[in-house]
Amino acid sequence: MTPATTRTVPAAGDTRSFIRCTRLTKVYRKGDQEITPLRDLDLEIARGTTVSLMGPSGSGKTTLLNLLAGIDTATAGELWIGGNDLARMSRDALAAWRAREVGIIFQSYNLVPVLTAFENVELPLLLHPMSRRERAARVGHALATVGLADRAGHFPRQLSGGQEQRVAIARAIVADPPLLLADEPTGDLDRASAEMVLDLLGTLHRERGCTIVMVTHDPTAAARAQFQLHLDKGSLARIERGDGAERVP
Amino acid sequence: MRLLPFDYAIRNLGRSPRRLALVTGGSTLVSLLVLGSVAFARGLERSLAATGLETNALLIGSGSEESVERSELPASTADVLAASVDGLAVVAGITAVSPEIHVALPAVLAPRAGAAAATDAAPALFRGIEPQAFLVHPQVRLVAGRWPAPGADEIAASPGAIARLGGDASRGAATVTGTRTGTGTDAGVGIGTQVEVAGTPFAVSGLFEAPGTAMHAEFWMRLDRLAQLTQRTTRSCVVAALGDAELDDIDAFTASRLDLESIAMRESDYYARLGEFFAPIRLLVFVTAVLISTGGALGGVNAMYAAFSSRVREVGTLQALGFSRAAIAVSLVIESTVACVAGSLLACLLALAALDGIAIDFSMGSFGLAVDSTAIASAIAAGALLGVLGAVPAIARCLVLPIPAALRG
Repeated sequence: MTPATTRTVPAAGDTRSFIRCTRLTKVYRKGDQEITPLRDLDLEIARGTTVSLMGPSGSGKTTLLNLLAGIDTATAGELWIGGNDLARMSRDALAAWRAREVGIIFQSYNLVPVLTAFENVELPLLLHPMSRRERAARVGHALATVGLADRAGHFPRQLSGGQEQRVAIARAIVADPPLLLADEPTGDLDRASAEMVLDLLGTLHRERGCTIVMVTHDPTAAARAQFQLHLDKGSLARIERGDGAERVP
Repeated sequence: MRLLPFDYAIRNLGRSPRRLALVTGGSTLVSLLVLGSVAFARGLERSLAATGLETNALLIGSGSEESVERSELPASTADVLAASVDGLAVVAGITAVSPEIHVALPAVLAPRAGAAAATDAAPALFRGIEPQAFLVHPQVRLVAGRWPAPGADEIAASPGAIARLGGDASRGAATVTGTRTGTGTDAGVGIGTQVEVAGTPFAVSGLFEAPGTAMHAEFWMRLDRLAQLTQRTTRSCVVAALGDAELDDIDAFTASRLDLESIAMRESDYYARLGEFFAPIRLLVFVTAVLISTGGALGGVNAMYAAFSSRVREVGTLQALGFSRAAIAVSLVIESTVACVAGSLLACLLALAALDGIAIDFSMGSFGLAVDSTAIASAIAAGALLGVLGAVPAIARCLVLPIPAALRG
């Protein structure tokens, strides 16, 4: 069993931690079996950092991402993000928090097929009090950022996989959330499209300074992040810096 | 609560035309059956209400309050009443007091030359009247021919009565080719057509209408001829137009003439009470409609369930974006309700085209199904209810899953 040890990204003692996990544990039952995908995880991530989560299947990386997104709740431990204690928030409060603070990018894009690219990107803004004109301006800007301003009226079925993922990224950033979470964002894309998406995420990080946490199996994609967290059996196995330096617990 | 765009719900309807057709079709069936049962109840209610006038008093035999057909009054009752009560309506010097016999008799349209003979008679309602009847039943209007002459074997026929025997008065005797199911009778009916009543041939001397009333399905003949035919000396009832008299005056009359063994009530009250008598039948019709429509409802709900279940991942995505479960549920309910109400509207159009006015026979005559605003509102309400309640299982299926599980689809 890995002992509970706090690992801070980017550096121990950094007081600007944006995400803080303390003995974070997730347990669920599958039939008679008790499964613990995440066990006593201690971790701090500073604001504005890009982090990739890597590890074999079942290592707990998607579970951690779900907890960070507030779409799953921990069984034990604490999870603070941007000063919010997610463990103490109600379901509705979590929904409101997600709308305000988190942008999520899915592996399969998860666009709504009956809505156009514009309408898909507009969805998160419907949760914010703003005029139709302001919404249109922000959606237009987000689509321009991902290079799809000319595809605003297209439905998902009229777009390529790479274009769909860029629309999904536009949807994730349109409300300007401080935290971007991506679950295998390049998993369903060809190499060229994957590079384009990774370039886009890098640009967003530089220009907006948002914190990005990305689950990936792709070492090339992971290497783009400032830090690579390697999980194994629900615990943090090691941390690698983008420059190749490695910290082993 | 921030809702999803209305367009989202509407456009989702087009995702699977087959499922949309199943949901809408199920709702159409349910709405049509609800509409039919309400149209039945409303038609009966309206017919009875239109038949009985509040300005008329009805005298019937004591103990026969529920059926004028079982009532018996002495033949002299009308004359005694007219002579005893002041203030009854008088028209052209004639007091508006009408002695009547109401009786159901087997009747059959006599075969015309070259046509097959009818093999079975149907029960029809006959009203024996004197000319004063037209003073107390202003709803009745002669539209062709004349009233039965004294001493002649003649009857006046209404469209509903003719239809009851399998005929069609709307096209006239010379041109009618309608047939009654199972008899092969050429059922054209017009002036001069023979109708066998309890084995005795009568000629149709006139055609009358009393739209929307039970009388629209009766044969009328002269009172003395019907009394002779049925070998009775008594009358079923006496109808009197109150004029300046009050019902209390009639009550006082019945109380003072115990020998007549009669009771008085407003004609409208009698038919209202008759409506209550038919309440179990209305309930039976409604329950039958509900039972039959359950199949359609389940089909629609099942299709809706399948449609929503295929979108579990999408629902998970919307929750992940920050939409509350309530907002998503509202959107799904809107989607389901729009589909079901569309089915209801289709049912209303079908009902207006095919059901409205269809004659239904009952023991006191016949009435037309009334596809009125109440029936249409009931059908739309049934569709809306199906839309809301039918969406519940599917919504539960979509929203009960934890978001991570929903995102996995």
